[in-house]
Amino acid sequence: MTLMDTSRLKSLWVLHYDCGSCNGCDIEILAALTPKFDVERFGIVNIGDPKQADVLLVTGPANNRNKDVLKNLYDQMPQPKLVMAIGTCACTGGIFHNCPNILGGIDKVIPVDVYIPGCAVRPEQIIDGVVLALEKLKGNAPVEEDE
Amino acid sequence: MNPETLVSINVGLPVVSALALLVLNDRRLRTAIVSLSSLILVSSSFLLYQAGGVVFSPGHIFEQAVVILDFALLLYFLYVGLKAKSPQVVLLGLAQIIPAAYFEFVVKGTHVENIMVVDSLSILLTLIINIIGSVVVIYALTYMDEHEHHLQLEKSNQNRFFFYMIMLLAAMNGLVYSNSLYWIYFFWEITTLCCYELIRHDMTEEAIQNSILALWMGLVGGVALIGTMFVSYYTIGNISLSELLVATPGQYVLLAFALMAIAAFTKSAQLPFQGWLLGAMVAPTPVSALLHSSTMVNIGVYTILRIAPAIHGTYLTYGIAFVGIFSFLITSIIALSQKLSKKILAYSTVGNLGLMIFCAAMNTSLSYSAAIILLVFHAMSKGLLFMCAGIIENRLHTRAIEDWAGLITRLPITAKVMMVGIISMFLPLFGVLLGKWAAIGITTSAPSILGMVMVAMMVIGSSATTLFWAKWLGSFVITPLVKGTAKNEELSAGYKLSLYGVLGLNILTSLGSGYVIKAIVTPIVEMNYQLAWNIDILTLHSQVGDFMILPLWGALVAIVILGNLLISSKGGEIKPPYLSGENVEGNPIGFRTTADSVVEYNVAGMFFDSEITEARWVPLSTIAGILLNLALLALVML
Amino acid sequence: MMITMNLERIIQVLFIIFAPILGGILAGLDRKITARMQGRVGPPLLQPFYDVIKLWGKEPFIASPLQPMLVMGYLVFIMTGLILLAFRRDMLHIIFTLTLADICLIVAAYNSGSPYSNLGARRELLAMLSYEPLMVLTAMGIQMVTGSFLLEGIFSYKLPLLLVLPAAFVAQQFVLIIDMKKSPYDVSGSSHAHQELVRGIYTEFSGYTMAIVEITHWIKTMFILRLMSYFWVNNLAIGIGLALSLWFIAILVDNIYPRLTWKHMLRTTWLTGFILILANLVGLVVLGVI
Repeated sequence: MTLMDTSRLKSLWVLHYDCGSCNGCDIEILAALTPKFDVERFGIVNIGDPKQADVLLVTGPANNRNKDVLKNLYDQMPQPKLVMAIGTCACTGGIFHNCPNILGGIDKVIPVDVYIPGCAVRPEQIIDGVVLALEKLKGNAPVEEDE
Repeated sequence: MNPETLVSINVGLPVVSALALLVLNDRRLRTAIVSLSSLILVSSSFLLYQAGGVVFSPGHIFEQAVVILDFALLLYFLYVGLKAKSPQVVLLGLAQIIPAAYFEFVVKGTHVENIMVVDSLSILLTLIINIIGSVVVIYALTYMDEHEHHLQLEKSNQNRFFFYMIMLLAAMNGLVYSNSLYWIYFFWEITTLCCYELIRHDMTEEAIQNSILALWMGLVGGVALIGTMFVSYYTIGNISLSELLVATPGQYVLLAFALMAIAAFTKSAQLPFQGWLLGAMVAPTPVSALLHSSTMVNIGVYTILRIAPAIHGTYLTYGIAFVGIFSFLITSIIALSQKLSKKILAYSTVGNLGLMIFCAAMNTSLSYSAAIILLVFHAMSKGLLFMCAGIIENRLHTRAIEDWAGLITRLPITAKVMMVGIISMFLPLFGVLLGKWAAIGITTSAPSILGMVMVAMMVIGSSATTLFWAKWLGSFVITPLVKGTAKNEELSAGYKLSLYGVLGLNILTSLGSGYVIKAIVTPIVEMNYQLAWNIDILTLHSQVGDFMILPLWGALVAIVILGNLLISSKGGEIKPPYLSGENVEGNPIGFRTTADSVVEYNVAGMFFDSEITEARWVPLSTIAGILLNLALLALVML
Repeated sequence: MMITMNLERIIQVLFIIFAPILGGILAGLDRKITARMQGRVGPPLLQPFYDVIKLWGKEPFIASPLQPMLVMGYLVFIMTGLILLAFRRDMLHIIFTLTLADICLIVAAYNSGSPYSNLGARRELLAMLSYEPLMVLTAMGIQMVTGSFLLEGIFSYKLPLLLVLPAAFVAQQFVLIIDMKKSPYDVSGSSHAHQELVRGIYTEFSGYTMAIVEITHWIKTMFILRLMSYFWVNNLAIGIGLALSLWFIAILVDNIYPRLTWKHMLRTTWLTGFILILANLVGLVVLGVI
């Protein structure tokens, strides 16, 4: 592994976007960033600016209003980038699947690399998801997770 | 060609050209006359520089002519005052004409042995006047055509305009060559006349009012100079400036200098006389460029430079320095709140002149040389800035700098030149900062607590200038420059010559600051002071520290090379800005909001509107200025 | 004597060459200490280097064609300032060189067309208005005490600078906090993991331009720390110790204080820092030291 690969694994800057979530998963994401779970020890920082972010954490289902914003944010992120769908709503639409105005999971709008189901997702699961994402960055085949 | 002839050309040629321009109101003839005179004036100035200087008296007929013209002028001022119903003008006019008549006809004291004394200081001023002045007048040829076209005038009154512009150059040249206080006073009042006529050129209500303001403030200076003449005559027996400067200092000699200093303050718009310069902004831009950079306002600095060696070590000199640095402080702060381009430039000019006067009056060899450095470089930078501001104003029809945002896309050439002009006013690489660096260095040479007060004022003022220049600089580039959207700008030949000429000169002289100091500044400083600089290829060494110019230009070259390498190796796709994901296609400042409507964001400028208002600051500072000026007269006693 | 001179020169050159690396290590240490103060483990020490390398390898996005050139200007001028500082040249001239560098960054931020970077740039100007006078006043203090702006003069002065200009040293704390973009003065953009106006002045920098800005920021912090070490030149260990203690206090203050407004920043730096140094200078005049 080159120095560049190592650096990319060790420095994941996160952009967190709430697509339409009830905020349950958002609170859990923030919890993951707090000292109790401390994802900063992995080099993960909540950077808030798509131009500087590597990972897009999305919660909530995609709908007709936020699909443009989601696409816009995704486009403003430079490669290499990853998208993680946090929570069941982001994965498939969750309990809002097939509701009016709901398109479904965010993979209807942008390509998703890691799906983390849960309602709400636990911080431990988020960290597991991050490990999966790192595996993907390393170039390994996706590992089957049973939950 | 002997120096007397050169001096006569510098004073006489502009008079002849001015009269020709007044009579011949034809555009092509005007261009020809202006271009030819400019060429001759610039050449004769260089030849005079090489000649080194001269002392002589023009024939008796000229002395008589000056007397006649002077009284005609004073009567004209009285007429203007009566017609405009301005009590200040009338009273100040009488306060001049009565003593002048007494002096001329009763005392008969106006004769001086050597009327013209041309030394290196005179030659420096004449170079600035003629070079920058000529460039501005050539610029004015194009500008006035546009200006009159915009005003849709039926009959051009450019003949009157150029008459006074060129006459101003003649008067300025005459002033810096004169040794007779009467002749200095005469040329001084001619500049007041030209200033008055040029400010009121457009004949709007505002212009007429501001011209009267400039007139009476100028007349205050005239009265002060009459006072100087009287004091000089009754103290040393004549009105020769060179003899006054070497007279044994006593209370009355110092009084003469104090009065000259006050006259200098009126010309350089120091507190409390700053009002006329601010008001002069209503005049067409070439007037601002000529008055504020190369001619009139420099007269005040020239005066202080002349008298400084004679008042070395007195309380008076520190009093004058205090007025200078106080003006610098106040105007730099007020400039933070200004939204009109020419007002910012005007306040900055007053501030820089204050700094020059401060340096000259602090009376050390380094400070004296700093004043001259500032004089030279400020003339170029400010002239350039005013010319650019005029072009932009003509194109955009607004002076509000908030409407000038993103100028680098709309008027690329002028915007870039103006940006370099702004950079040259407050950042290293250029000469104005060299002067400011030296000025900061000498601030601590005032005695004890006064020195500390000056230190505080200098630091505050200097920080304020950095802030207002930087925020203006930033506003030029606010709209991203995307290839294809930049408009092509067409600059006419006259504009190009003026802008690129002054810009090029500024860059060359800044690069070669060491050489400029050795060739021009040091000869003037050495007339009365010790050597201030020790210059080698990389560094300008002085007693307060080292200033390095070439290393920074070297860094600039490195930036250009490395930057281009970076761009060619990495490049980059230009992406729209971050607007919370709500960007609108094709609109760089638009974003979507409620009901998917498109709104354009607007970021207003930072102007400290509530804290720094002219209404609050100007009256107080004017009162402070009046008190300081009166204090000067008291300091003479000490 | 000659050998000592050469040794000094070698140390200066080494400092210049290693400043970016030292700066990065300090940045990593900063994050580690901050994490421990917050009861966490924190990232590894070399984290800033991973960040910068990763940024360099990102797909290049720029906000405008001017941006890369201006960012390079920021880097080169800061480096020039550092070189002049290490070689003990003219303090006031160095401050103006730093201003030139900052203006490059500010113009780059204005040029990016985003309201966040516009506001960040403007606040950066206000930050400059807060710390620059303190540095200029310090330079003038040095000139009054040693006779010239040349930092070389400190080395031949009879007393350590800390003893004659203690207020100037204390004022450097303000300068450091503002430069490190730490609370309460992180109004124009904040150090890691904090957001202010998205990323404030840094909002539109991305990939390699952000990497260069990061590295330049490290060098600038090293610059200020080196300046602080000049307050005790007789003993290098004490000098470095002084610098690092102010650095530590900045981290401590960051973890205690919330972010405050720019008006508060101006008010406290001027009313405290500026007046303190001025009082120091007046005191020196009264005591006859100057």
